[in-house]
Amino acid sequence: MLTWGVVAVLAVGVYGQRALGMALVDPERLGFRSRQVLAMVPLSILCAVTALQTLSTQGELVLDARVAGIVAATLLSWKRVPMFVVVVVAAAVTSAVRGLS
Amino acid sequence: MLSGWHDLPVHQIPEGTSLTAGEAWTIAFTYFTVAITVSLVHSTAGTATWVIVAATLLVNSATATLAYAAVTAAGGSAVAGVLGGCLTATRFGVLAAALAPRLWPQRWKRAVAAFAAFDPNIALANREQNDSDVRRVYIAMSLWLVLPWWLGASIGVVIGDWISDPKALGMDAMFPALFVAIIRPQLTTNNARLIAVSGACVALALVEVLQGGLPILVAALPALLALRSRESGAT
Repeated sequence: MLTWGVVAVLAVGVYGQRALGMALVDPERLGFRSRQVLAMVPLSILCAVTALQTLSTQGELVLDARVAGIVAATLLSWKRVPMFVVVVVAAAVTSAVRGLS
Repeated sequence: MLSGWHDLPVHQIPEGTSLTAGEAWTIAFTYFTVAITVSLVHSTAGTATWVIVAATLLVNSATATLAYAAVTAAGGSAVAGVLGGCLTATRFGVLAAALAPRLWPQRWKRAVAAFAAFDPNIALANREQNDSDVRRVYIAMSLWLVLPWWLGASIGVVIGDWISDPKALGMDAMFPALFVAIIRPQLTTNNARLIAVSGACVALALVEVLQGGLPILVAALPALLALRSRESGAT
């Protein structure tokens, strides 16, 4: 259960990390190679988040209906289907597989 | 002409950038829907309505508040919950650092921008060639994401009782599906594909070993593979 106090501490903690990330990097002093690496960080992190949100729950590896939904999303993305369709079909497939099992 | 962000038509899709209306609407829809389910989780855990709304607006991170809810629901203390929540949000700091060199040179502007550092807006802004386009896409996408996010959370606390089980509707697959759709067009080079697969594998290998968001933090390291790139030419 969240309380006002918890919300305040979480807000400061989460914003603090975001602001720290923005502050730590000085755009004017950054070399080409650092920029090259930083440019690929979002891709690497996005893939990590996707993998964890598909195959884990609260720190444990879990194989469930989500996998079917994300497989469908992956196939549709490769076919360059509009993003909206990808998201809705993934939810529908997950829902259907969950209903069947 | 574009001297500051106040003259930007932020309610629109920035002209001349790769951002499309389809992407913006999809992200808005996804964050709106997921926000409703997040509200539901918190109200089921007994959190008061206004605290849920405040948490969405101020913390601005579902992973952080959900991690807190998960830890405390499992019998953990409030302190453990807060630590868990902050740990899961570390990726936003790294993502912010990744985009920072392409945002405004003024620190205060980046400090304001930091509040809305999420995954999709950073990924889509990062796609732009010119730094000025990066900034315009970041502002536009942040609004397209954060406003539906707040709206969904607020609506969620009101209509929460009607949606009995978000999982039965497959809503837990929406975030990863959206991310897949954002990732796919970025896999244009062998190096990008290698970084993508490595990031996913590192996170999966570490998820049961490390706490909270630490597996994701370590999963940022495959970005170093960018240094072996010969594709982008000389400096």
